[in-house]
Amino acid sequence: MKKTIHDTPVDNTQTMNKGDDRIDASRPSRRKAIKTLAATTALAATASSMPLFGRYGQVQSSEPIKIGFQVHRTGIGAAYGRWYDRTTKAAVKKINDEGGINGRPVEIVAEDDGTDPKRGAEVVEKMATQHGCDIAFGTLFSHVVIGSAPRAGELKIPYFVVSEGHHVASGMLNRYTLQPGITDVKSQVQAMAPFVNSTLGKKVTMIYPDFAFGHDHRDYFSAAVEAQGGEVVAKIAIPPTESSFTKYFPKIPRNTDVIYHVMVGPAVLTFVKEMGEFFGNSRPEIFGFIDSLEAVDLASPGLEFLEGTYFWEGNPRYAQANQSEYDKAYRAAVGVDANGASLSDSKDVATYAHMFGCWETLHIVKAGMEASGYAGAGDRSKLIEAVESMTSMPHSFAHPQGAKEFNGKTHQTFGHQYITKVTNGKLVLAHTTSIEDTYYPDEVDYTTQSF
Amino acid sequence: MGITTAWPNAAAAHATGQSFVALLPTGPYMAVGVATVALSIMLLWFLPQRSASALLPHRNIGRVAAAPALRNLSSLLMFLALCGGIAAGLNGTRDPLENGLVLGFWVAFWMAAPMVQGYLFDLWGWLSPWRWAAQPLGTLAARPVLPLPRHVGVWPAVALLLGFSAFTLADPAPDDPARLAAVISAYMIVTFAGMTLFGPRRWLRQAEFFSVLMAQFGRLSVLARRGARVRAGWPGWQLGNGVAFLPGIPVFTLVLLGTGSFDGFNETFVWLDLIGVNPLAFPGRSAVVVPVILGLAGANLLLVGLFLVMIVTGDRLVGGGLPANRLLALFAPTILPIALAYHMAHYLPSLLVDGQYVLVALNDPLGTGANLLGLADYYVTTGFFNHRETMRVIWLSQAAVIVFGHVIAVILAHAAAVQLYGNVSRAFRAGLPLAVFMVLYTWLGLWLLAAPKGG
Repeated sequence: MKKTIHDTPVDNTQTMNKGDDRIDASRPSRRKAIKTLAATTALAATASSMPLFGRYGQVQSSEPIKIGFQVHRTGIGAAYGRWYDRTTKAAVKKINDEGGINGRPVEIVAEDDGTDPKRGAEVVEKMATQHGCDIAFGTLFSHVVIGSAPRAGELKIPYFVVSEGHHVASGMLNRYTLQPGITDVKSQVQAMAPFVNSTLGKKVTMIYPDFAFGHDHRDYFSAAVEAQGGEVVAKIAIPPTESSFTKYFPKIPRNTDVIYHVMVGPAVLTFVKEMGEFFGNSRPEIFGFIDSLEAVDLASPGLEFLEGTYFWEGNPRYAQANQSEYDKAYRAAVGVDANGASLSDSKDVATYAHMFGCWETLHIVKAGMEASGYAGAGDRSKLIEAVESMTSMPHSFAHPQGAKEFNGKTHQTFGHQYITKVTNGKLVLAHTTSIEDTYYPDEVDYTTQSF
Repeated sequence: MGITTAWPNAAAAHATGQSFVALLPTGPYMAVGVATVALSIMLLWFLPQRSASALLPHRNIGRVAAAPALRNLSSLLMFLALCGGIAAGLNGTRDPLENGLVLGFWVAFWMAAPMVQGYLFDLWGWLSPWRWAAQPLGTLAARPVLPLPRHVGVWPAVALLLGFSAFTLADPAPDDPARLAAVISAYMIVTFAGMTLFGPRRWLRQAEFFSVLMAQFGRLSVLARRGARVRAGWPGWQLGNGVAFLPGIPVFTLVLLGTGSFDGFNETFVWLDLIGVNPLAFPGRSAVVVPVILGLAGANLLLVGLFLVMIVTGDRLVGGGLPANRLLALFAPTILPIALAYHMAHYLPSLLVDGQYVLVALNDPLGTGANLLGLADYYVTTGFFNHRETMRVIWLSQAAVIVFGHVIAVILAHAAAVQLYGNVSRAFRAGLPLAVFMVLYTWLGLWLLAAPKGG
């Protein structure tokens, strides 16, 4: 039976990688108090032996915690960056209104990475060496994360990414890079298989762009569908520069029950329109990833064909019938209405499926800093250890998307996924996956790496 | 995932908007645009011979005069604002969409000011941060230390314009506040040094490329001063009477258009495919610095070459035998309206978004929590990119600007040809290659708006 976060309490005892020293991030604990004490002692010891640091140590208690925000202000990530920025500002305001972190206010130092990996590494370096940031945070696009993480590791600055990429959990990064606030694409994709197979049909045709992003979907989903007893009957790879798709649709086998599509880029609406024209009134079931239509208003003319099709959403764009008080508060704080659009403009649709990750990550940083008694840059490794020891994160104001299970070894969080159906031009919740649906075997143990 | 607003060379590259553009019947729209320009060429052929001033009429609208002292004061204030901006670039917020220097320079100045200058009036007369210093520096050094002869023309400005274009298009982070502050500071030092060493008026006329650019676009504006009076006319009317010529001006004009065209082309799938970049996974500006610089240089060389071939061919068709230099000097200014149209169409979508950031910044200029414009709770929106109908309006506005610019260019080219070759029949034959060029350029401009973009 599938568990939904709204009607079933999350089992807090369930962890993926059981460890003895896990901290429940939501509650203070005796362990936390001890750690705080230890941290303070350590700071005092370090301070006395390092004159410059000592001076910083004396005044830092009232100084803000500086969070370097690596934001896609320009480049191909800019539309996401705008909403990541809004969510980040809202989360910081909430945290500060509630007393900050360890009694210190939080200050965001935003640097534009241009959605450019090389620039991303430079920006992380600036945060660590020029701006005196305590951590770096907020990156979405995978190639920027992959380009920046090695520098974060060299400079020993904790790097909290919000990217969905599997690169953290795959083991290709380092101990300083964590993704505790958003699930990765591997778990998202494989968690779709049970619903697609049991509800939409066993025979799946996949249509995806012919590069790494599409290949990830192809590989993760094919494997998951086969494990469920289904079958991928065709894999149709579309060249990235394609702008018309009519010649590809005849390749869809007639026995297809479900089409799984993950098209992105400026041709995506053409794809939807042409698919609608191709099938007319008799189409198979259609399932897609909202990445294709993130920030696109589904009520726009030209998208009628999407009616009745299904989408993965990281977080449902439209407020659902069973909306939690947490989602309500989160929406209000970020300035998003019940349709997922900006309060300033009902046509300005948010990147709602992804941006919650910034909110949740900042709350995890707060929990981690408080658990470790974080006082300054000297405590960075303690912060990482504190986050690594986290496990269950209950559905709460800090985690409005839903409960999470964090895997400290792989530095990756796992959580519920949502499948919504376009109904009268709105995305209505059809299914919520369990967290277990998203699990896969560990591929790395970062905790074995030294700091 | 990829939804785009490249910046500062932002253009129409918002992929959400671009995906709605793909749903529009841009093919028929383009056909109408190209046909309009072609038709205007035919009309000029059939209509009785008219002078440029008859084709682009203008009239006196009275005496409106601001004291030069007032302009100098405004110029000094702009200089001080620029200094303040540099300080903000070095020490203010690192977020380019909140930083005063980035917003002030890229959005308010670079995107918007040429539009006002080219379509309305001589804004640069008020904005120039150098003008105030011209007189004191001129007095200080009565004779320039170094010569900048007239025959050197605006070639120094051509070189600086190309350098600036490369910074805009190829630099990995032209909107990084500190980086921009450093570049502007350096340019400021160069400008004041140039004004001191070569004489302020010479330097501003021949080397300071913003002044040269604004002077060129200023020749297109509806309003212009003639003595103590202000005249209003059709865009381009001032060019009907010929322009003051300096060597290098034709190439400067062509570089404006070549750069503007490449700026659009630089984002298309065609270009990205050409340089081996997957447009759906753009690797970032730092990965394409060399191809972009080569493309920029190539586009400008190609345009200058093509233009030369067209006008020389036209001249040979009627046995004119005029030197290429003279033909260039006469015909190159006719493409100014196209260059301005490219600027306007290219930056319009970005201005719709980034203009909001400017207003939000002005709402609380010093970060003191002020709410001067009542925008404290306002969120910047890009909602107009998310709907087919609003994208249709935006796209058609851009297309109209492109077509209108070409029609004005066609009229100016016709007038120039008539002036050179004496009668309409000869002028038409001589102008035919250039006319074909302009029709094709209309198609290019509209195609750049419609083409899928990434990066």
